[in-house]
Amino acid sequence: MTTLLVTRRMTDHPTDSHTLNRYESTGGYIQAKRAMDSSREELVEEVKASRLLGRGGAAFSAGLKWSFLAPARPSYLVINADESEPGTFKDRQLLERDPHQMIEGIIITAVANEAHHAFVYIRGEYPKPARRVQAAIDEAYAIGYLGQGIFGSDYDLEVTVHLGGGAYICGEETALINSLEGLRGEPRLKPPYFPAAKGLYMMPTIVNNVETVSNLPHILSMGSGEYAELTGNDDTGTFMMSLSGHVNRPGNYELPHGITWRELIYDIGGGITGDKKLKAWIPGGASAPWFVPDQHLDLEVTKEATAAAGSMLGSGAVIVMDENTCMVRAAERIVRFFAHESCGQCTPCREGTTWLEMILRRIEEGQGRAVDLDLMVDVSDGISIGLAWPPRMTTICPLGPSAVSPIMALRSYFRGEVDAHVDAGGCPFLPTTRGAPDGTNEGDRRSEEDLSTSSGRVSGGRPPEMTGEDVDRVGGAS
Amino acid sequence: MTDQPPLITITLDGVEKQVPEGDLMIKAAQDQGTYIPRFCWHERMNPVGMCRMCLVEIETPRGPMMVTACTDNVADGMVIDTKSDDVKKAQEAILEFLLANHPLDCPVCDKGGECPLQDQAMAYGPGESRFVEIKRTYEKPIPISDLVLLDRERCILCARCTRFSDEISGDPLIEFQDRGNETEINTFPDLPFSSYFSGNTVQICPVGALTAKPYRFRARPWDLQKVESSSVQDTAHPRIEIHASHNEILRYMGVDNDATNHGWLSDKARFGFEHLRSEDRLTTPLVRRGGDLIEVGWPEALDIVATRFDLIKEEDGGGALGVIGGANGTNEDAYALSKFARIVLNTNNVDSRMDDGLSSHFLAASVDRATISDLDRADTILIWGPDLKEEHPTLYLRVRRAVQELGKTLVVIHPRATGLDDRATLKVEYRPGGGFQLLDEIANGQHEDVAHALSADGVVALVGIASHADGPDLAESVAALVRQKAGTCTLLPLNSRSNTFGALDMGLAPDLLPGRVGLDSVGCANLAESWGAFPKVPGRDARSILEALDTGDVRGLLLVGADPMRDVPDPSIVVAGFDAAEYVVSIDMFLNDSNRNADVILPAAGFAEKTGTITNIEGRVQKVNQVRPAPGQARPDWAILDDIATSMECSLGLASAETINKEISVVAPAYEDVTWDVLEWEKRDGVVVPIHGAQAINHIPVAIRGSAAPGAELTLHIARTMYDDGVRLRHSPSLHKLAPGAVAHVNPADAPKLGAKDGHQARVVTSQGEGQFTVVLDEGTPKGVVYVPFNQAGGSRLGTDPVVRVTVVSK
Amino acid sequence: MSLWSETTQERAREIISRYPEKRSAVMPLLYLAMAEDGYLTNDGMAEVAVWCGITPAQVRSVASFYTMYKREPTGEYLLSCCTSISCMLLGGDDILGAVEDESGVPHGETDDEGLLSVEHVECIGACGGAPAVQVNYELIEGVTPEKARELVRWLRTARPKVVNTDEMQELFGGPRSFDWGISEEDGAIGPYPAFQPLGTVGSEGGG
Repeated sequence: MTTLLVTRRMTDHPTDSHTLNRYESTGGYIQAKRAMDSSREELVEEVKASRLLGRGGAAFSAGLKWSFLAPARPSYLVINADESEPGTFKDRQLLERDPHQMIEGIIITAVANEAHHAFVYIRGEYPKPARRVQAAIDEAYAIGYLGQGIFGSDYDLEVTVHLGGGAYICGEETALINSLEGLRGEPRLKPPYFPAAKGLYMMPTIVNNVETVSNLPHILSMGSGEYAELTGNDDTGTFMMSLSGHVNRPGNYELPHGITWRELIYDIGGGITGDKKLKAWIPGGASAPWFVPDQHLDLEVTKEATAAAGSMLGSGAVIVMDENTCMVRAAERIVRFFAHESCGQCTPCREGTTWLEMILRRIEEGQGRAVDLDLMVDVSDGISIGLAWPPRMTTICPLGPSAVSPIMALRSYFRGEVDAHVDAGGCPFLPTTRGAPDGTNEGDRRSEEDLSTSSGRVSGGRPPEMTGEDVDRVGGAS
Repeated sequence: MTDQPPLITITLDGVEKQVPEGDLMIKAAQDQGTYIPRFCWHERMNPVGMCRMCLVEIETPRGPMMVTACTDNVADGMVIDTKSDDVKKAQEAILEFLLANHPLDCPVCDKGGECPLQDQAMAYGPGESRFVEIKRTYEKPIPISDLVLLDRERCILCARCTRFSDEISGDPLIEFQDRGNETEINTFPDLPFSSYFSGNTVQICPVGALTAKPYRFRARPWDLQKVESSSVQDTAHPRIEIHASHNEILRYMGVDNDATNHGWLSDKARFGFEHLRSEDRLTTPLVRRGGDLIEVGWPEALDIVATRFDLIKEEDGGGALGVIGGANGTNEDAYALSKFARIVLNTNNVDSRMDDGLSSHFLAASVDRATISDLDRADTILIWGPDLKEEHPTLYLRVRRAVQELGKTLVVIHPRATGLDDRATLKVEYRPGGGFQLLDEIANGQHEDVAHALSADGVVALVGIASHADGPDLAESVAALVRQKAGTCTLLPLNSRSNTFGALDMGLAPDLLPGRVGLDSVGCANLAESWGAFPKVPGRDARSILEALDTGDVRGLLLVGADPMRDVPDPSIVVAGFDAAEYVVSIDMFLNDSNRNADVILPAAGFAEKTGTITNIEGRVQKVNQVRPAPGQARPDWAILDDIATSMECSLGLASAETINKEISVVAPAYEDVTWDVLEWEKRDGVVVPIHGAQAINHIPVAIRGSAAPGAELTLHIARTMYDDGVRLRHSPSLHKLAPGAVAHVNPADAPKLGAKDGHQARVVTSQGEGQFTVVLDEGTPKGVVYVPFNQAGGSRLGTDPVVRVTVVSK
Repeated sequence: MSLWSETTQERAREIISRYPEKRSAVMPLLYLAMAEDGYLTNDGMAEVAVWCGITPAQVRSVASFYTMYKREPTGEYLLSCCTSISCMLLGGDDILGAVEDESGVPHGETDDEGLLSVEHVECIGACGGAPAVQVNYELIEGVTPEKARELVRWLRTARPKVVNTDEMQELFGGPRSFDWGISEEDGAIGPYPAFQPLGTVGSEGGG
């Protein structure tokens, strides 16, 4: 538990871990220089041997991904820093606190994939991380680590920081590529648009997550063998986990795989706030099927064990909910997220997620019907045929089926709570929290009519109860 | 010529099938008779996999997997299940999702009765909706252009319209807006969907979200009488289906035809039928008496015409008579006119062109003539001629596709911006009148990139008149040069009048006989036998006829569906000719500038009011069919001509359009065996008639030296636009208002020295004409060039002289 | 003829030069257009279309896909309250309520003087420091309803020319997702992300 790789520098040098000085004085850029002398094959083999899995959520072998790169050139490298999954904030820390580590990873990845132009796609809501990354890039250019003839070689490498515009879906690699091309961030069809063959500008493209490439200097430094041996299981290296919700010590933790959920939540996270009981947690970001204490608390935090229990580690975001949490409201909030972030291409995702959101809000607001849970399960079945995990896709990308996870949790563990809402004609929990009622997020996406009615809602300390009219407007917004 | 892909074996719903490798599953299944429901997939567009209606199950080593049949190709050994329980579940779910927010206003929706959503909801849907929330609502239909209305509530976001406008027509003016459940289709504020091809989006919309103003609320699909035909309002003669009710034509639908239009129509071809139902149609013969046109009966009118034509013929011979027109009817009409001129009027003074075309032999009888589909097989496509988007819309779409989807090299040479510039590999602009100079430069090794592109193995050259200043010889000289440079070169000489190629094939030129036969050759033996005696000396072309009217050498003129006053570029000869004309007879659907002062006007049947054949720009003969009777006493040209002949005591022996067609297939060598029977049954997409037989002309393009570029400061570019003030468009209200009007485009950089701003009135003067035009500042018009669209309402004719002066007259 | 100042045009050229194809510059140029006009106007989108060689409809299609391109007039300070799951669990909805109440501006709206816009947003990646808000995308973590009210009052009275995340975190924030390290001067001058290549970093230190 003491092995820190990607967060070592920021832990040891909390004030200046983001500077070139500190980076170089702590062994930085040595591996990038070494990589310059390695062939593509050597680098791909080394990373394959480390069994490094992508840290963006899909956990695909990074080395294998590189090996799929088609021969056409130019090839491009895209760093996915569009971290937007609720519960996830690890890349923000890596970008802000150790940008040179990522840049060194970029250089290694670019050389391994013969790319001369890399893009760092940072979500637009992360201006400070973007500034830190840009400053680090500027430093690297100034000293000749980026730009023309890096490290005195004849290898050119340009790095462009691209700011997102506010769209979770751009974290999906083909949507990200579309976005980078100046298109709507809609996922592309796979086949035929596998990035390694037809990616950015239809050229071979590697898309890697920030944490993934941040691991590379360490893999080269310690050697793939040692890296792979850090844990005693198939999930090699360390893994950033973002802990949030009702825990005493939320935050990012760089951990070796293999501890249990109990250790994570109670030892590392310091237990549930106010010594309340744990009701449920989401093990791997908002998309993941939920876990509950009586079934899952002593499982290992590994990819295999989590998958075997019907969920995933995903981006490593753990959201903890205590006994006082309304599961209907929690489900609504997550489904609302996916409905809001659906790109709108696929019918089941576009229509189905919104439908689920409307039903959940209706139940929470006291207009639930006894049939609604079964209806939601069946609507979910239409989005994710057979309700299996991993989902049998009816959609281009996994966003739609992700919205089904909270519904499955309600069905499997909290049916009684849904019934209680229906029977009581409203939420039986104390209204300690109350959501923004109409599901829209931005003023500019709403009709004038919408705006005029919502302005009547300003008086109290919190927005008043939803009315039937509010429910209607969910469907009526322009 | 295209290689057929090898066949592979798949198992489709438990049955082994042989299907072409590389086909999409949805297409392979469809060709095997298994219909997989779909909304977003369209055979002529790239798949997007958005509606998810076509989900099927395939077997994989990891168990059955759901995939969209529109996005994945078949592979050898693939096992596809289109009817499994999970597939049915998915289909029901998708339909319930789509209908969740779809208004059930089918009874008042134009699409009701022919709606894929309605049909598939019946066939594959769950039967009832469990959606009890409030549906999305939008402002009911908003006009997104002058022709198309958008009802966003009905839209199911299939991206057919956006793909069409982006991928097919190249006018990405209608796009998705917002995202997720709030996604809608829309235009940019104050920037309408002003595409020449907008009507296609209405046709391919799988719901009633996009509707066409001219058809809206006019009929129910089950009341429509449907007849297949081909449009004459596009030089490729795209295949159409005419929908009519109670003898009124209500709409045209594009019919997918591999050879020509791929199902698409320009808005001109789609909505141009409105002129047929115009109240201004001529319905009775008119005879001038005391300065007025008086309605008379047919016998009287025919008698008057026959008497005067007989008199002139008797006094000065057939050479004193001339015939202009015939390019707007059927081949049967054109043949009747050709025969009438030769054996009744005894003259070769006959021309279907309007002094704006290429040489008749080059147009009709060039060697190595290309087909439209040759575009898909070319290495390089050269366009040196009109802006295809304006004058040849189907060719425009086909070239666009060939470049975009098939990666062809495209060279565009034109005096200003054209619709294909964004896809052109090379674009060269030249000063109007400077075409020969540019051609010399290319021949002499300048413009290396162009020369290189033209030296490719397979070049298809589309050549025509780019600018009125160019004259007819430039295009043929271009053709000669390309033939010399390219490995193999095929040619599409361009002419924009609707059935010009049919007319020329029927001999409506002073030096052509039916079947692409010259006057000087022995002629077709069958023709000689059929026609008997006729003059063998080449007659006058349109220009010469008009000039001879002025000198009195030609005394009598027969106009057939022709309006030279509007169409001949050089105004001086037309005005003088018509002023001096002794006797003018017109067969037409409308009064126009040319026949307004005629002595006799005979009412003609229009398109869809007669049956026959037409020949398109590549020489493809297709059948057109009658859908409704002609109004009043209007009759087909051939019948009118046959009656005039009878009144002149000659016989054309033409009993019906079908017997004319049979006669053509006997006497016109190129048309041998091209009969209605063939076109109606085994060759519904038409037959490209070949040049064959010893007597055919086989014209080889020759380079002609042209004049040097004018040294003027400003040069004038006049070219046709899709919409103008032509007589049929003038009577098609939906389209006529889309014409640019009397405008003169100049480059913004030239504006200061002209003292002109957008919207100013300017006087434009050439040696041949002058007029007042509204100034449009336009980056697409190069510096030093003034661009004036031809034949616009309120505009004056400026002739063919490129030297021009522009003076601002009012701000 | 561009609607933009020579400086902005120079920036546009510089941005376009960073990409192999100019259409890729659509998103940064949209931010530039917002910085020019205060929000994304139709003229701004049409201008971006010219720079990128596409139609205004295509630009609007892209702009409207993303939440950060505000196509309605937006206040000098855009206050975004996260109400996604992790913030919601720790009272994010109450923060929104407090902001709405203190400011008198319901979410999705802007006050009459054009000073303050309020919106609620999905996850902004501050879950470990929940509940969190942003002012012009500059982050404040560990906010309480009372601190949120103070923030609104401060924005209205102090009217900072540049909003700086470290300064606001000191004044109104609480527990953070992680240690932020040393403070920096950079900050936002308008309701769009402060990022130097887009020309929107406020302080002198940002250049």
